[in-house]
Amino acid sequence: MAIRVDPEGNETHALFDLVDLSGQHVLEIGSGDGRLTWRYAGRAAHVTAIEPFGQSVARARENLPDELKARVEYHQVGFDDFAAAAEPGAFDVVMLSWSL
Amino acid sequence: MKHEGMVHALEEIHRLLRPDGNLVDIHPVVEAPLIEVYQGGRVLFAQPNPDYSAEDYRQADNALAQAIQRRFFVVERSGQFDFLVYGSSVAELRAYIAEANAYEDGSKDEAAAAREAERVARVEGIMQGAGEGAEVATHESAHIARLRAIR
Repeated sequence: MAIRVDPEGNETHALFDLVDLSGQHVLEIGSGDGRLTWRYAGRAAHVTAIEPFGQSVARARENLPDELKARVEYHQVGFDDFAAAAEPGAFDVVMLSWSL
Repeated sequence: MKHEGMVHALEEIHRLLRPDGNLVDIHPVVEAPLIEVYQGGRVLFAQPNPDYSAEDYRQADNALAQAIQRRFFVVERSGQFDFLVYGSSVAELRAYIAEANAYEDGSKDEAAAAREAERVARVEGIMQGAGEGAEVATHESAHIARLRAIR
């Protein structure tokens, strides 16, 4: 049996109950292995997911479902470096995914 | 990330959000997660991790409070949920957690390492006694909040 992460879907339910991601441009900070990204990305217009650890980013890219590949991009970068190069007002939603 | 770094990060997030955009913050509450053993949906064992440190999450709460006080954000809604990760063995679950927390300093003093070894042996014993299909889980509570960027 493999590791089962939040099989009850409590995190996703709480997220969807809190915010409507339809048509939104989302920045996810600390996307890790992408487990949360896959669960909500289908509702968003576009997701920019950043994570400083290369191994996690590689896993997230490898396991990204085909149907989400057009709307999710993963970047191996820390937040400070990403923010320094990003345009003001570029995102509708910023998600701190267990990363503050 | 230390408190000052968190506050600076929240300022930067405010800059990256469109006016009235939303920040969604998910982080654990400042309570020790439980280690649990399940068999057939029944909880056979549950114990809080006595070596858990909530300092980072206290700092996160304080940084958010400061960003709100400085009127970068206003809290629109918040809630709490249970977050469980299950493994079929203690080793499997520990490996997953170690990778997920790779950015943290995992070094422990001797006493903490000894307590952990004792806890692992105890949980492994309970798993063995529970038989096939038993699972070990970490059970933590997380806080989720939607904050609106104020211009």
